[in-house]
Amino acid sequence: MIFLTLVLSTFREAIAKKIFIGFFAISTLIILIFLFLINVDSIEGMVDLMESSGQEGVKNLVIGFQVAMIDISYLLIITFCFISVSSFIPSMLEKGNIDLLLSKPISRSNIILAKFIGGVLLIFVSLVYLIGFVWLILSSKSGFWHVPFLYSIFWLTLSFAVIYSLIILIGLFSQSTILSIIISLFLVFIVCPVLAAREMVIFSFIENASVRFVVNFLYYILPKTSDINKISSDIITGQPVVSYMPVYSSVLFMLVMLSVSIYIFRKKDY
Amino acid sequence: MSIISTKNLNKDYPSRNFAEKKITALSNFSFDVQDSEIFGLLGPNGAGKTTLIKIILGITFPTSGEVKVFDKDISDYTYKRKVGYLPENHKFPNYLTGEQTLHYFGKLSGLPANEVKKKTNEYLSLTGMEKWRKTKIKKYSKGMLQRLGLAQALLNNPEIIFLDEPTDGVDPIGRKEIRDLLKELKLRGRTIFLNSHLLSEVELVCDRIAILNKGSLVKSGRVDDITALSNNYIFHTSDIPDDFINTLLSEYKAVIKSKNEFQFNANTVTELNDFIDYLRNRKILIHGIVREKDTLENMFISLIGSQN
Repeated sequence: MIFLTLVLSTFREAIAKKIFIGFFAISTLIILIFLFLINVDSIEGMVDLMESSGQEGVKNLVIGFQVAMIDISYLLIITFCFISVSSFIPSMLEKGNIDLLLSKPISRSNIILAKFIGGVLLIFVSLVYLIGFVWLILSSKSGFWHVPFLYSIFWLTLSFAVIYSLIILIGLFSQSTILSIIISLFLVFIVCPVLAAREMVIFSFIENASVRFVVNFLYYILPKTSDINKISSDIITGQPVVSYMPVYSSVLFMLVMLSVSIYIFRKKDY
Repeated sequence: MSIISTKNLNKDYPSRNFAEKKITALSNFSFDVQDSEIFGLLGPNGAGKTTLIKIILGITFPTSGEVKVFDKDISDYTYKRKVGYLPENHKFPNYLTGEQTLHYFGKLSGLPANEVKKKTNEYLSLTGMEKWRKTKIKKYSKGMLQRLGLAQALLNNPEIIFLDEPTDGVDPIGRKEIRDLLKELKLRGRTIFLNSHLLSEVELVCDRIAILNKGSLVKSGRVDDITALSNNYIFHTSDIPDDFINTLLSEYKAVIKSKNEFQFNANTVTELNDFIDYLRNRKILIHGIVREKDTLENMFISLIGSQN
């Protein structure tokens, strides 16, 4: 009951922040755009496409939309959700607030876990809304019910959870919302994509073995959200997934971040 | 029965100043709080009062020493189900209404949902916040926030209530209401741990107090004993005959203030009672006896001033 109250309070806190309302507004707009586009296509574009390339052409078009949706959703999560959840821990740690929370009969470990689960559930529900509706619209209009697209809800939630675990740790250390946002955006926009494409981007002009080792080392220990998105796209397009290593190592990263956060929170004076 | 007990409690904080190694917030602090009493904690700023409350509530950890609440070690956080706490400068989520705030903290205290609703109504009414229950707390004044904070601290029907500056920002009438509420809670068997800068207020409601200075216990005991200036008693009596006045002056070293008021020094209770018997034998009617007292504020200032 106490744990659930804390989880649900995360929802309430997010809704109270205008930025999360922005996420829902844009999601709704995307859903409406998809609804409108498909109507147009079914009359003009899709009919032409079906005539020229048959049912396969429609499937490819729907899959193309779905792959594009993963990138859009990922971008939305980063711009809206990361900014929204980055303040969860710093605001919880504010003087006068943390005193009250720690005086309640709940363990410090559970407080961190509740904040984590609350944030992840929030994004999961948001993605169910966005991707679920887009899937329903695309499927009902095209007649092609491509279930693997729905799996991207799980993959995107996982990507978020991995970075959110880092946001929690930074929040505990720094009690700064801004720093949490900057580091997480730097990691997601710059570090992860560059490391994921290290063989093409970095290794093409650096041959030093030591530097390559360091780069590889960083790649393996840091989260791999770009690779997780690639796995998600591969599953939708039906391409074989080369390796699930990025998933395992990212989950490991998340567990380490959460464990360290819990350890620090349990030891710290407030 | 002892509700809270500490033994040789020490708390050091790392110093931000490189020249100093550590800051001692509490030093070998031992005390206990009894069941159904109002206990006041006094001390100047930085004396370690808030640190002590935070250690008892598991918000801060002691460097060494022992703390027990309800005879349990504080590492077992389940004791907090029986605890209410109003921190100084508390901060509630400002997007909630007064009612939602109480629902939230009631559930966090482990109250069942139906009980939360019942208690919310009860305590909003008791603290005079019924009218503002649907108003977002970001619109509340300091006094209103304090009243809501008090309702929050009482919501889970706690056996012990920690109040850190409960009347801060509350108007005089509100203060009186809070004092009356504390007395009523005591009658209902609740133990209250009060931390207040308002010494006159502490004097009015507390049974026992502890005075902290620089992390150490300076004095503790019953308020009456602590504020007692000496063993001087003021007697109010019927008119004293002139011959008896001389006796009082010469034999009993009394200080005569008027024909029916004098001061007598008794070092023991027996001595005091013997003197009362003596007066009664002389057919002197006793209207009242008052032990000469100082105010808590004067006593506090002289005690802390002599230490600093």
